[in-house]
Amino acid sequence: MSLLDVLLQQVVNGLALGMMYALLALGFTMVYGIIELINFSHFSVFMTGTFVGLMVLNLMGVTAVSKSLTGLVLVGTLVALFMATMLITGVLGVLIERVCLRSLRNVSGTAPMITTIGVAFILINTMLLAWGPQTQRFPQLLPNWRWSLGAAEVTFKQVLLFVVGLILMLALSHLVKRTTLGKAMRATAQDADAARMMGIDVDRVVVLTFFLGSALAGAGSLFFGLYYGFTAYYIGYTTGLRAFTSAVLGGIGSIPGAVLGGLCIGLTQSLGGQLLGVKWTDVIIFSILIVTMVFRPNGLLGTRLPQKA
Amino acid sequence: MMNRRTLVLIVALVAVMAMLAGLSDRVTAQGKVVKIGLSLPLTGADADGSDAVLKGSQMAIAEVNAKGGAAGYKLEAVVFDSATPAAGQYDPAQAATNYKKFVADTLVLVAVGPIMSGEGKAISPILSEADMATITPSSTNPDITDPKFQAQYRPKGKAVYFRTVTTDAYQGPNMANYLFHSQKIKSVYVLDDGGAFGVGIADSFQKRAGELGVKLLGRDRLDPKEADYKTILTKIKGLSPDALYYGGVMQAAAKLAPQSYEVIPKVIKAGSDGVYDLSWPKQSGKEAVDGWFCSQASPELVTSPKVEAWVTKFKSTMKRDPTNYAITAYNAVLVIADAVERTAAGGKPPTRTSLRDAIQATKLSSIQGPIAFDANGDILTRTVSIYQWRDGEIKYVSVAPEK
Repeated sequence: MSLLDVLLQQVVNGLALGMMYALLALGFTMVYGIIELINFSHFSVFMTGTFVGLMVLNLMGVTAVSKSLTGLVLVGTLVALFMATMLITGVLGVLIERVCLRSLRNVSGTAPMITTIGVAFILINTMLLAWGPQTQRFPQLLPNWRWSLGAAEVTFKQVLLFVVGLILMLALSHLVKRTTLGKAMRATAQDADAARMMGIDVDRVVVLTFFLGSALAGAGSLFFGLYYGFTAYYIGYTTGLRAFTSAVLGGIGSIPGAVLGGLCIGLTQSLGGQLLGVKWTDVIIFSILIVTMVFRPNGLLGTRLPQKA
Repeated sequence: MMNRRTLVLIVALVAVMAMLAGLSDRVTAQGKVVKIGLSLPLTGADADGSDAVLKGSQMAIAEVNAKGGAAGYKLEAVVFDSATPAAGQYDPAQAATNYKKFVADTLVLVAVGPIMSGEGKAISPILSEADMATITPSSTNPDITDPKFQAQYRPKGKAVYFRTVTTDAYQGPNMANYLFHSQKIKSVYVLDDGGAFGVGIADSFQKRAGELGVKLLGRDRLDPKEADYKTILTKIKGLSPDALYYGGVMQAAAKLAPQSYEVIPKVIKAGSDGVYDLSWPKQSGKEAVDGWFCSQASPELVTSPKVEAWVTKFKSTMKRDPTNYAITAYNAVLVIADAVERTAAGGKPPTRTSLRDAIQATKLSSIQGPIAFDANGDILTRTVSIYQWRDGEIKYVSVAPEK
């Protein structure tokens, strides 16, 4: 492989990796957009999602040593897997909102955010106790198809991840911009009290936001499992902080921004690893976070400041 | 009424507990006991290897006690876990805490362990202060016993860190010798996992490989908690080395194996005793692990005919497969029993200091061969063995060449 081929391969890897961050950043940025809460439990919901997916697969009789599926069986299994996992993580998100955050909704300051950190630790330690600290293998359902781009290659998993990520982003963006629910969401984001006076059920909007965001984290967690073939209780932390950086870089609250930010961070990670070495990965990524905060606090696509008086 | 009943119950419970406590006090006071501290990462990524070491020590303790103890002294294990949930693997800070507890317990006279060199670096100074010896069945970083670093790891001067395995001064370089002579590698990429052991052995491998004229194509460090190693593996693929050497333990290896199987299936891959872990195929998949070389800082024991009877007994009493380090742990306890006997022969009850001195003077023949230590605590036998994963099992290949 020539250096050019390697760089091309790293771009392909980085785009797939970035889409994974983007899927996480989407749910994160959505909650922030509506209630201006930095929800750190989101990443633990993502981590929990990988274990939920693992359990769903085990219930369907698919284990780590099973062969990859093909044809209709594969499609059926995937659809069932995504629906079950996204439903369960969605409900988990709603539970977190209902039990831990609703009573803090009107509390100003950092109390709700710190609560989400607490929830994150509860989830991490619950999974640790339930599954143990060892790496768990995630069943490799997807076929190992590869296409070559010169000496570089693209795998089916990468294409699927990228396409589904884009579809979810467009669907979400459509939901927020063009539907009645989206209008209610935007109204709630602008002024929750005024929205309530207009007859919008604000609690319902917030619950739906948490459900959608957490379901997206569930989708992200399945891609994580299928792409890397493992899960462990600690994966939410590293992946989550990078997704957070993606959301901030793209402009927190902006849906296309989350995807753009995710792709940028993914590419930074793979090209930075290639050119400087992987031991510098976190240094580079978190330097980007700081630089963004200092010079462009609204991110790449976030043009408007919070509109609350 | 309810309250009174609860009160009576509590009083009764307290009374029973006090009686039990009194009872156990009297037993230790009458009986002659030497407590052995065992601090091992029993949970986390390296749990399987630690379990084997624990069971090897327990088997030796049971055997010594069945014969009436060492010179009448019963051996008793005090076991602590040195892994923490936050680390997901061994945690040097937890190991240090455990060893401080050992030192605080006046009946703990000696220890077996630790498993990891990262723990060893944290606990060796604590032992030196207490003048208490430990015998490690598996930690191989040479710095801990190197007189060059005496001020850091044994400020009081005397050796306290004894080993029934050799060090990475041999394990890393001898793997380089093997890959150069037998696998004919001409270029290599070296990775480590950032731990004290991983960095040390990768350094010593890299140095020896350089001396042999193997071209070093690069060196990088894996974050054991990172999920994505495809970036670095793609970079390595672009450099097309003959071999990849990984210095480190299981947390990173569990992910490195499947991803390198996907990206660089044809490159020769080798690790150290950090990946001699029977649970690896379960963690990473059989086909991903196949072909990996690994090493042991001891002679091959598990399949040796001399050890057959031992292996049968271990399997039936401990209900698991043995590892070489289960045997080096077993021997560590026998070294302690032997030291207790020699100390007690002088008529004095063993102390930490007298046991340390006795261990230093050990001349024991064991199922792994003769055991004797140099002035720094390192074993005089310096055999390193090479293994390869084949079809989900570790197969012994040969003794690693020393040059």
